Amino acid sequence: MNYLKSRRDFIKKTSAAAMATMGMGAPLAGLLSSCESKMKTTADSVILLFMAGGMAHTETFDPKRHTPFRKGMEAKEILSTFPSIPTKLDGIQFSEGLENIASVMDKGTLIRSYQAADLGHILHTRHQYHFHTCYEPPQSVVVPHLGSWIAKEKGALNPVIPPFINIGQRFTVGEGEELKAFHTAGFLGSEYGPFMIPDPTSGLDSVRPPVGMDTKRFESRNQLYKDLIAAGPMGEFGSDYQKESLKRSMEQAYILLNSPEAKAFDLSQEPKESYDKYNTGKFGLGCLLAKRLVNQGARYITVTTEYEPFMGWDTHDNGHTRLKDMKKLIDAPIAQLIKDLDESGKLDRTIVLVASEFSRDMLTEGRPDLKVKDQVQVPDIVEDLKNFGMHRHFTDGCSMLMFGGGIKRGHVFGKTADERPCKTIENPIKIDGIHQTIYHALGIASDLNYEIEQRPFYTTPDGHGKVETGLLT
Amino acid sequence: MRKAINLMVYFGATSVFSSVIFGLLLAENEGTAGSTLDIHKYIGIAAAALSIALIYFVRKAQSHPSAIKIYRSLLVITAVDVGFAGHYGASLTHGESFLTETLPFQTDEEAPESITINLASFQNELSSEQEVQLVTNVRSVFAHNCYKCHSGAKIEGDLRLDEKEFIFAGGESGPIFEAGNPDNSDLIRRISLSKNHKDVMPSKGKLLTKEEIQLLTIWVEKGAPWPEKADNFSVYRVAELAPRKPNLPPVKSGLENPIDRLVNQYFEKNSIEWTELVDDRTFLRRAYLDIVGLIPSPSDLEEFETDPDPNKRSLWVERLLNQTDDYSQHWLTFWNDALRNDYTGTGYITGGRFAITDWIYTSLRYNKPYDLFVKELLSPTDKSKGFIEGIRWRGTVNASQRTEMQAAQNVGQVILGLNLKCASCHDSFISDWKLEESYAFANIFADSTLEISRCEKPTGKMAQTKILWEDLGEIDSLATKAEKLQQLADQLVQPKNGRLSRTIVNRIWKQMMGRGIVEPVDEMDNEPWSQDLLDWLASDFTENGYDIKRLIKQIATSKIYQSQSIPVPSSDFLLAEDYQFEGMVRRRMTAEQFSDAVSLLAAPLFDSIEVKFKPYELIPEATQNREFTRASLVANNEFLKALGRPTREIVSTSRDSQASLLQALELSNGDKLNSALQKGAVTWIETYPDSEKLTRELFAKAVLREPNSKEMELAMKTFGEKPAAPEVQDFLWALFLSPEFQMIY
Repeated sequence: MNYLKSRRDFIKKTSAAAMATMGMGAPLAGLLSSCESKMKTTADSVILLFMAGGMAHTETFDPKRHTPFRKGMEAKEILSTFPSIPTKLDGIQFSEGLENIASVMDKGTLIRSYQAADLGHILHTRHQYHFHTCYEPPQSVVVPHLGSWIAKEKGALNPVIPPFINIGQRFTVGEGEELKAFHTAGFLGSEYGPFMIPDPTSGLDSVRPPVGMDTKRFESRNQLYKDLIAAGPMGEFGSDYQKESLKRSMEQAYILLNSPEAKAFDLSQEPKESYDKYNTGKFGLGCLLAKRLVNQGARYITVTTEYEPFMGWDTHDNGHTRLKDMKKLIDAPIAQLIKDLDESGKLDRTIVLVASEFSRDMLTEGRPDLKVKDQVQVPDIVEDLKNFGMHRHFTDGCSMLMFGGGIKRGHVFGKTADERPCKTIENPIKIDGIHQTIYHALGIASDLNYEIEQRPFYTTPDGHGKVETGLLT
Repeated sequence: MRKAINLMVYFGATSVFSSVIFGLLLAENEGTAGSTLDIHKYIGIAAAALSIALIYFVRKAQSHPSAIKIYRSLLVITAVDVGFAGHYGASLTHGESFLTETLPFQTDEEAPESITINLASFQNELSSEQEVQLVTNVRSVFAHNCYKCHSGAKIEGDLRLDEKEFIFAGGESGPIFEAGNPDNSDLIRRISLSKNHKDVMPSKGKLLTKEEIQLLTIWVEKGAPWPEKADNFSVYRVAELAPRKPNLPPVKSGLENPIDRLVNQYFEKNSIEWTELVDDRTFLRRAYLDIVGLIPSPSDLEEFETDPDPNKRSLWVERLLNQTDDYSQHWLTFWNDALRNDYTGTGYITGGRFAITDWIYTSLRYNKPYDLFVKELLSPTDKSKGFIEGIRWRGTVNASQRTEMQAAQNVGQVILGLNLKCASCHDSFISDWKLEESYAFANIFADSTLEISRCEKPTGKMAQTKILWEDLGEIDSLATKAEKLQQLADQLVQPKNGRLSRTIVNRIWKQMMGRGIVEPVDEMDNEPWSQDLLDWLASDFTENGYDIKRLIKQIATSKIYQSQSIPVPSSDFLLAEDYQFEGMVRRRMTAEQFSDAVSLLAAPLFDSIEVKFKPYELIPEATQNREFTRASLVANNEFLKALGRPTREIVSTSRDSQASLLQALELSNGDKLNSALQKGAVTWIETYPDSEKLTRELFAKAVLREPNSKEMELAMKTFGEKPAAPEVQDFLWALFLSPEFQMIY
């Protein structure tokens, strides 16, 4: 029976994980993780501006030859449906409609070589799951979101601002269940899950006393709670972990709901001039809320153009027309956010990432050398404006923008071909590289892992994500 | 001579000073800590200060002879101080016992951390039995420290340590040892290096202990013996598959229930005292929550308390078990979690997932014997196929998550209490399960033979078709899927598969007592705190028709179930390796129990749109006797999620009951609870316009007792003479969120 003791020791060493299953506190960091405390950090906060639905690179940050609409044109000749415009960077052009962002590109890095995963027949939410968690769905454990890893490892910057805030997404849309599957802290424990603000204009509702309850009543309710516990017989039962943690969490919530910092959630406090600059719609106001929260010490925020099947960036038809609106929605607020953060000095310690789960193309569904089942009929000859645009899902060349927090200023990374298929031809970068670079900037060790059901589970699959030093100063 | 001494003082002082500086830097870099280090540090700093004083006085003594006395005493103090600093420093690098360990009278009483084997027994000529023992220990050291990077799962430096052949072949830089010559063995050299050395192994995580290094050294020294039969022994704990029925200890007064007799045996062995039986009120609340998931009403309590039957607790347990719809709606939650069945969720939109709620509910309602329950899950009808069909995503998925492998993993986890997730991708490094065994098991669920993929790369090898244990019989690999599943179902529910019953009785025990006899409940190879109790319960369950209600009754009528509950002192208490069972542990209500209590006492939390399952539409005789919808019947929502209801994307056999800020926010200002309390408050003041009466009723209904004088005073202060809705709403809130309300104690 000699192995018994070793088995026990093994359990002690490796199965803190089981704690997650027991639901008793968060799991412990795996012993394989190296110590990160001495790592130099370049960022404290992260804002992800997510272009949900698949943003075509050729129509936004990586335009190709302009092929204007004419009745009877061949589908295969269509590359970019918009003319190009200059940016702050020499020789680098954007698609028309992104003039404001073009004017701040000296402050960040343009990535033109992101390659999304091959997940077969395309479902947006599976790619989004992969984008946000770095793991391909499904997985045999519940995988934490990027924001949850950061919340767990770095904690709240300001104790009354939840460390992972998600702005702009409702779960009542089609594929809502699939969206929920990755908006979770998974095995890290619900403490690190997203604080959801589906509508930025009602952000304050989530952090103030319940509707119809003024501060005074809220305070006396809290006092009553404490007095009632003190008066009750439960004290005789002695200390109990569950009891104490319940009381502690209620106290924390009370402090947050009653704190002056909660005003950061209230967009009506923003000066009108500034409010108007951001107010292009829900997404624009989300950017404004993100700015206010980062100024108060938010750790990780996602602001998304809300995902809803066949809406927003998910153009299965009328791509050209609809992209005009999408650009109007994002151009001013993204640029304004960068300018405001830069002016206040916050940009130096805040990474802002603009990204989408994949790109789109007129003809290719998937990757040129690994095409998958088409979802949209594309006529060979385009007679109607509604067929003019990028209506298929393209994974082999997507654009991203990264600003601040140690990311190079005025830099371009990677390249796609100028002719169809406009795929990545230089410096390909994948999701594990993006995640690892963000973790690195925050000082989270690249081999950080937790023992889950006795197996090491890393921030990036097998801990293989490499920091992309080409993006960093 | 004096000159030389003075020079030595200067030299000594300077080197003490520089040692201190380097010492501080070293401590900073190595990250060592602890009281020995602190002592070493402070004595060292004192030595530096003393040295400076020494230099001062040695100079002064040259011109003022009177200073010479101070100089001399200082010199003595400094010498002693440096001596101590040196000692503690050595303790840091060589271990605390570096001075005493070589003394002849020093005995090594403390068992080494991870090896209980007596190293000394390997010093002489080894018998073949001892050789096997030695190798098993060596393999255990490799398994627990090295497999993560050097086994089939991950092969760093071209080196695998999981099989004899690979160990002897070595890695990219050749053999790792020379048999008989530890001094010329890279293996021994590298595991013996210090933490910061670039060659040290393991390069990540904890270094090997002294005993582990010694063990490997002895093995190499002895010529690295590896008798053939050594491979028959597992380095992991493997539970017996066969059932076992231990003899019951003799009956003692008051301990007739077999559970109590076995618990008493355990208590005696571990010197644990029985606690007193709880009062009727505590018992009734416990039994209600555990059996039907609801809190009893004051009239239930009164009826129970005044029941003169000495056997009343047992009768009332029976009565609760017979409230079939209440019972079924409570246990539905448990099975929905375990079988990852839900009303909404991923997969349903593309037709890639099938709900089995009707089947689960019917099974619970008619108390389907567990063997039949398992058979119907494994060899399913249309109504029960959802569990093994899994979730089929649009697009391509990893080989290790194909639906056949999902079935293998989930059947393994839920029905058999074992973890095949690791072995779905490569040979497991946490158990003996091999990739081929997982595939052979998964192949039972496949329409056509699966090709084995190792770490997502197809190997070209086709899977066999086998149950995980040969003892349970064979599966015909040429049979159709339906036939294979029928064979699997028949073979897994044979009484000789003791694992089936052990796994389920352990789960039910956990539901009732707060912690399994084995934990985690999905790792049935782990050591139970009482093998006898587990084995007896399992055998008894098998012999008595796999009757779940009977099992619940057996537990609920035991004395141990009726004894005082045990507080949980810390978050890791329940999984501590030296966990000792003392009784039922205190728990928090689940999301469903809490919601149902609030719905009952204030106003229904869920409206008709949220209801996804209506038992009375499925079963005509099902009673719809509650004025609110039970939380187990509604789609998951933010409120339930915040309180720990899982999304059921994967199997979930333990709830996350951790209190968290996000949960507290939901409870503090979430709309769901707030509006139920708002409505409830109005009903309360309409029914009880008098403050005192209202308070008494509220306490009676919510916590089944009278308010004490302080609580009454507090209520009167809050309500004034006539209660108004806002104050009552806040009082309900405070009472419902109090630990007394939320705990099962």
